[in-house]
Amino acid sequence: MGVTVLQAYPMPENKSGAHIIDYLSKRLLSLGATHAGQFLVDCETFISTPQPHNGTPGRAVHVLHNSEYPASTFSIIDSGTGKQVSLVADSIFDLLMLKMTNTFTSKKQTKIESRGARFEYGDFVIKLGSVTMMEHFKGILIEIEYKSCMILAYCWEMIREMLQGFLNINVGKDFPSYFAPQTIMTAMGQQQMHAKHNDMYEPTDTVKQYLEQFTNYRKHVSMHGSVSGGIQGGLGGQQQQPVHMSPAPVMGAAGGFGLIRP
Amino acid sequence: MSNSVNISVETTCENQIREIGYDGTEQYQPAPTLSESLAKCAARIDFSKTSLDDLKKEEKTAAAAEEENKDGTQFQESLWPWDAVRNKLKDALTEICVLSDVISIAKDKRYLVLDPLLEEGDDTKPIVQVYSRKKAISQAAQVLLSGAERLRNAHSEQRSRNVSDFHIELLRLRQNWRLKKVSNAIIGDLSYRTAGSKFGMSGTFEVTKAEEASDDDSASTSTTSSSTATNNGMQMKASSALRVIVPAELQGVAYIKVITQKDQEDLCTAQVNLMGHGPNITAQVGVWQKTLEFAQNVLFCKELFAQLAREAIQLQAPIPHVVIGNQIRATLLPNIQLIISLCHSTTFDSNQPAPINDHDHVLEHSLHQLLREVHYKNSHHPFPHPASAPLGPSKKRMLAGPMAADRETLLDMTKTQTILEQIIAQAQHIFMRKRTQYVLDTLARDVKDPQIVSHWNAMNSPTMSCVKINIVTHGYDAIGRTSLVIHVKERSLKCICRDGRVMRLSYEPQELRDLILCQINSHQISCLVSLARCMAWTVLSNSNHLGIGKVEPLGNASSCLLASPNGDRMIAVQIRCDPQIDVKVYIARSPRQDFFPSPLVPEKLWENLGGNFKEVKFDKIEGKSFLNKMEFLMASLTSNTA
Repeated sequence: MGVTVLQAYPMPENKSGAHIIDYLSKRLLSLGATHAGQFLVDCETFISTPQPHNGTPGRAVHVLHNSEYPASTFSIIDSGTGKQVSLVADSIFDLLMLKMTNTFTSKKQTKIESRGARFEYGDFVIKLGSVTMMEHFKGILIEIEYKSCMILAYCWEMIREMLQGFLNINVGKDFPSYFAPQTIMTAMGQQQMHAKHNDMYEPTDTVKQYLEQFTNYRKHVSMHGSVSGGIQGGLGGQQQQPVHMSPAPVMGAAGGFGLIRP
Repeated sequence: MSNSVNISVETTCENQIREIGYDGTEQYQPAPTLSESLAKCAARIDFSKTSLDDLKKEEKTAAAAEEENKDGTQFQESLWPWDAVRNKLKDALTEICVLSDVISIAKDKRYLVLDPLLEEGDDTKPIVQVYSRKKAISQAAQVLLSGAERLRNAHSEQRSRNVSDFHIELLRLRQNWRLKKVSNAIIGDLSYRTAGSKFGMSGTFEVTKAEEASDDDSASTSTTSSSTATNNGMQMKASSALRVIVPAELQGVAYIKVITQKDQEDLCTAQVNLMGHGPNITAQVGVWQKTLEFAQNVLFCKELFAQLAREAIQLQAPIPHVVIGNQIRATLLPNIQLIISLCHSTTFDSNQPAPINDHDHVLEHSLHQLLREVHYKNSHHPFPHPASAPLGPSKKRMLAGPMAADRETLLDMTKTQTILEQIIAQAQHIFMRKRTQYVLDTLARDVKDPQIVSHWNAMNSPTMSCVKINIVTHGYDAIGRTSLVIHVKERSLKCICRDGRVMRLSYEPQELRDLILCQINSHQISCLVSLARCMAWTVLSNSNHLGIGKVEPLGNASSCLLASPNGDRMIAVQIRCDPQIDVKVYIARSPRQDFFPSPLVPEKLWENLGGNFKEVKFDKIEGKSFLNKMEFLMASLTSNTA
């Protein structure tokens, strides 16, 4: 169990997801990684049924599973105000959610999952996942885990170098948006900048990163028609939005993916 | 002029309708007047509650019935409800008057006297009474006397003989073993089934009275086994009133023998035996205790051996285990075998064979504990939290969900080791530890110059021990010390040096020896470097792996080059270790003595370039150790002249 970083892969317009996955796996295998099974991360969302009257969105309960922790079920409650409460429970939690259909209804159409192959390369575990929502392909998420380290600040540079090496994309120098310093309220009621990259890494952090990415993919349904791939404010530098490619794409090691960074 | 309006106020008509006329008018029953309602209430009083008035009640009911009939014809409403009440009150008044008359007459005592009733006297004769009492008392006396007689007999019997009662013996037996009564036989159980064992062999024994029992009249008196009790002090052959019969396959004495063999030589042996070789604890109880304990021991050894044999057949080892008869052979390391055998001798004699002298308590205790652990796991299951969770997974597995355990951790939880694997691992480790100790001790004995001090950890696990080795030179401990830690595992060693290098060695003892020699090598040079600094000599260079000279089987030479404080002397030291530590020391002086200006090199200043190195007869130098000699050498070569 080590530090895990999620990286969304910028999809070129005229390539299919399967092709990209194939291309990346070939690169990994030639690098010397070994294929080690499959992985699956899925997320189902439940919305509280009695919609509150004052217009705020109801509370959402996200239930996630990660095949890397097969005995556990993760759950995150998202009240409309942005506060998130996370929970790690035994797999029997899913049965509990089935009983809660009176209070929470499942929005079946937003069931989203990331599935793909898992590669092991020394101390790294790299997962190439294709994100699908109701059989529609949404994008590609790369998950990279460095098993020897538990604090991101110590190994971010190495992870970044690894990502840039085999993905051949530009990864920003800053920490991913999930780990960026945030203001939190201390116990004494003061606001304080808290740097998440100095904390010990926990399995719930992986799941929260996935939730963040999945939420973006869900919001994309509304933004699907945008041409220039404008980036929503508030998303960090890690978001790689689908980019409109010129009619004659230049592929290959030199890379032709233009990025728009905030 | 306002017209007055007539307002009619009517009550709600609650009265019953008696009659409806042909023109629609309704005739109501008039509402009951106050007196009528009072009469109704009074009529409800039940005067017949008292028991004395039962007869009168009948009369009254009869009278009331007559009156009803009468009143039914006359239909006098006002008198009818009160009539019954009036009659009842009238009767009550009559009786009260009579009672007061009687009491006043009785008080006068002239015409009426009240006397108490006399009891009737007994008309039986007193003699009959006496006779019946005497009989009753004599019967009671008889009962008491017979009871006392019985007690006296029992007491005198108990004192007269020295063998205890059957029932006392049975009580002691029940305190130590599980017994139950089946029809008219007493069956006991000496197996470990209630402790969690699942062995198929039954351990039931039967308890009977001893043969020399004499029959008595009363069934409850104890039987004695007379007199042939020879009560020697040492021999516990006291005959007892009961006998235990154990099954035939559990008779005798059994023990499990564990031997580690190297090429047909016995290296170490171990015995597994439940019977302690301590003081004989069966002194107080009868001879049956020993029999039962031996039988239980046989059962335990059989179960242990059966379990080991089953595992030996099921396990896939690189060199397969061999099970022949009552022996299991397993290979620990190449040429080293572990032999576990079950020895069962059915002729039980009191002079048992003397135990084997090098008794390995550790393996014996381990096998016993391992089987006991299996029994414990069979009978104790961890309770699930919450109570609705399935019963079965261990506490770690139940916590794995909420703690987000990853796949490797979950896989590790599923791996279990059988008893045979565990005992093989422990035996391998014991062997590796003995071997490592032997290597270190012989090296410490042979190499005197730096001293090798090894500190073994007092606490270790059955499959891993640690030793810390310090290499110091006597007298120069403050100058430098080389230390390393060796983790002794089952088939390998792991060495961690002070500078962080980790080396993994196999089970060959030569590898450890070579490693220590190399460490001695580098110790000498590093201590020499520190010593030179103390002596104000300059260290020009040193190297741990020179790579010069002929190829050595063991590492490379290490060297050091020192210059004196005023630069006129140089010392070069080279240490090899092939297989002994070999030290060569050379000295050079500058300016060189043998410089003569030649046409090629005319200037005299070239004599300062330094002369040839000449070897020193190092073993002839005074000094107790290498560092001591070097110190003297450096001291002697240090000169004051500039």
